[in-house]
Amino acid sequence: MKNKGIIIFLLLLVVVIVAVLVVDFISDRPDRSNPNPFAYNVEEFKNVAPELILYKESKNFRIGFEEPVAVAIQNNKLYIAGDKELKVVDLSGKLLANFPLPEKPLAVEVFQHEIFVAVKNKILMFDETGNALSEWPVPGNNSLITAVAADNNNVFVADAGMRKVIRYSKNGEMLGEFDGKAEEGALHGFIVPSPCFDLDINDQEELWVVNPGLHALENYTYDGQLRTYWKSTGVNLEGFSGCCNPSHFTFLSDGRYVTSEKGLVRIKTYKRSGEFEGVVAAPAKFVDEGRAPDVAADSNDNIYALDFDKKIIRVFEPK
Amino acid sequence: MKKLKYIFWTVAFVVLYVAASAQQQRFPKPEFESGYEQPTTITPEPRALSLEYFDVLVLLVVLSLASWLVLKKRSRQGVLWLSVFTLIYFGFYRDGCICSIGAIQNVTLSFFDPAYAISLTALLFFLLPLAFTLFFGRTFCAGACPLGAIQDLIIIKPISLPKWLNKTLGLIPYIYLSLAVLFAATGTDFIICRYDPFVGIFRMEAKFHMAVLGVSFLLMGMFVARPYCRFFCPYGVLLSWMSRFSKWHLSITPSACIQCKLCTNSCPFDAIDYPTNEKEVVKSGLGPKRFLVYAVLIPVWVAAGVFVGERTHTWLSKANPDVYLAELLISNPEIKNDPDNIDVQTFLASGKTMEPLVEEAKIIRGKFYIGSMIAGGFLGLVIGMTLLNTIVFRKRQDYLPHKGNCFSCARCVDYCPVEK
Repeated sequence: MKNKGIIIFLLLLVVVIVAVLVVDFISDRPDRSNPNPFAYNVEEFKNVAPELILYKESKNFRIGFEEPVAVAIQNNKLYIAGDKELKVVDLSGKLLANFPLPEKPLAVEVFQHEIFVAVKNKILMFDETGNALSEWPVPGNNSLITAVAADNNNVFVADAGMRKVIRYSKNGEMLGEFDGKAEEGALHGFIVPSPCFDLDINDQEELWVVNPGLHALENYTYDGQLRTYWKSTGVNLEGFSGCCNPSHFTFLSDGRYVTSEKGLVRIKTYKRSGEFEGVVAAPAKFVDEGRAPDVAADSNDNIYALDFDKKIIRVFEPK
Repeated sequence: MKKLKYIFWTVAFVVLYVAASAQQQRFPKPEFESGYEQPTTITPEPRALSLEYFDVLVLLVVLSLASWLVLKKRSRQGVLWLSVFTLIYFGFYRDGCICSIGAIQNVTLSFFDPAYAISLTALLFFLLPLAFTLFFGRTFCAGACPLGAIQDLIIIKPISLPKWLNKTLGLIPYIYLSLAVLFAATGTDFIICRYDPFVGIFRMEAKFHMAVLGVSFLLMGMFVARPYCRFFCPYGVLLSWMSRFSKWHLSITPSACIQCKLCTNSCPFDAIDYPTNEKEVVKSGLGPKRFLVYAVLIPVWVAAGVFVGERTHTWLSKANPDVYLAELLISNPEIKNDPDNIDVQTFLASGKTMEPLVEEAKIIRGKFYIGSMIAGGFLGLVIGMTLLNTIVFRKRQDYLPHKGNCFSCARCVDYCPVEK
């Protein structure tokens, strides 16, 4: 036969082709599926070297909320919002006062002697004893307030639904808003895929806003001009991972950052420059796949973490 | 004037490219430090819309150039270099996606799934080659298809296949087309993409068995020229239909054929029809009687195809993951406790209950019932027509390219000594 060798070779190839097609077709079925070969094991990132943990948990206390929402600290008092109530407790966990709120709170901020509580489409302002001082609306059908920060003259509201920061006077007059878009090509606007959008003002009266989609902390002037930012992406200890981190943050007395992350739940501190400093609480301290605790810090740099899953305040002291 | 054109195209390219480059990553890419192996995606990363339109423009230019090279210039060399460009651009640079062959499925799905909107790019990739083929023959296969190009470049010692084998294997593309349309219409799978033997080579990241498939086709292609194009390509079926009616088609000779027979062995695809010998045909006994029998048999073939389709629809529908999962969970409920079964665990995690899954599976199976019968009937018709074609006598005095099977590669024109 002419070309006998070639024909045998071709027949072998036909067998290979048919075999590949048949095996692939019948092997990719639910009862024959292998364990997910692409599952990403984050277990190793839950382990933190002891020398990197700079804090120890000194105590914790129950706060009696079905659904705690936020924590703030001022004048050595913790202000904890949840359910339809605001509780004031001292730093040891003793209840000092509580007063009802007309609606379910979304965020809380205390500056000097004024308390700001965000509820749906509204900011409520109280004095320390719970007397209502004023309130004003936050417009927007998709508005979802996730954080409030205040100084002497301004109240900044982070609206995750509208992906913008709104600046009000203490009378509720809207002074401006911004969506984080810097000049062309410099930085993206706020990317907020989930309702994790925090902001705060530090000891230098600098406004810092989390851009969670970019894993960045961004510093804006009060009229919304980007001044500087730092970012850190990665599941390693130094970085922020997944969507959307850091979920919460606060400042220590000297302006260092305390960040709280979801997914791989952990609390960490960063220097003013944005350089990673150490760990406050490692993932092993929290429920797997739990929510990121809200964080507040007192003047002694003790950190108060509102653990949403265990519904307790956990106090971490520097070692 | 030429200079102006050059400047225009350069500016257009730069504008398109810069616009596309300005796109930025919406999220930072996850950073994995543990040697994690990222899964490969079926389709490459999304591309800026302007670049997608640029691809359409490139396809249009390549098709025009291929048609000009084949019909006007009659240059095999030109077609060869054009196919090298196609291989590099549409194959390796564009990762073999989107391709006109796979676009069959996008078009099909857009007809059957109201929630699916086909992109203009996919539609144009599907339509442009068909339109060109209707006018100029299969010049798409000659110079604009990366799958054709990669096979065309490795033909070493093509052997001629017996006519009966060519005809029999030539039925596979019809089966493949029927299944691809059936699976796409039922939202089951895009099998043309899944079993594209060359896409893994283009992307340089094929799974092992797909690499074996691709290499097998290439090895086979050294001796059986373009095996995928001839015996698998479902788009080839549509192109073949169009090409049969093409207004202008490649001719071996630029003027009158002098019957020198130099071209007879030039086509590695067995796509040259020889002049017919009327006496031999009469002697062979092929006549009206046989034609009538074969013609009458066509409805029988169709009926048989419908029957086979009806019988196999249950089996075919199991290719649909929802149908398979529903059957599996009913027949083997303890599989719910298998934490390693990713499909079952994904279903359970979705929060869906069995009722909607079973209901959905029933609807899909209903679609398979109708679709399989149509596909079976179509295949029956194809078999009947193929058989009928074997005994239809077409008078030919010259050596002519078979308009349906010819890839317009222009190899044969180099063998023709006739000058215009």
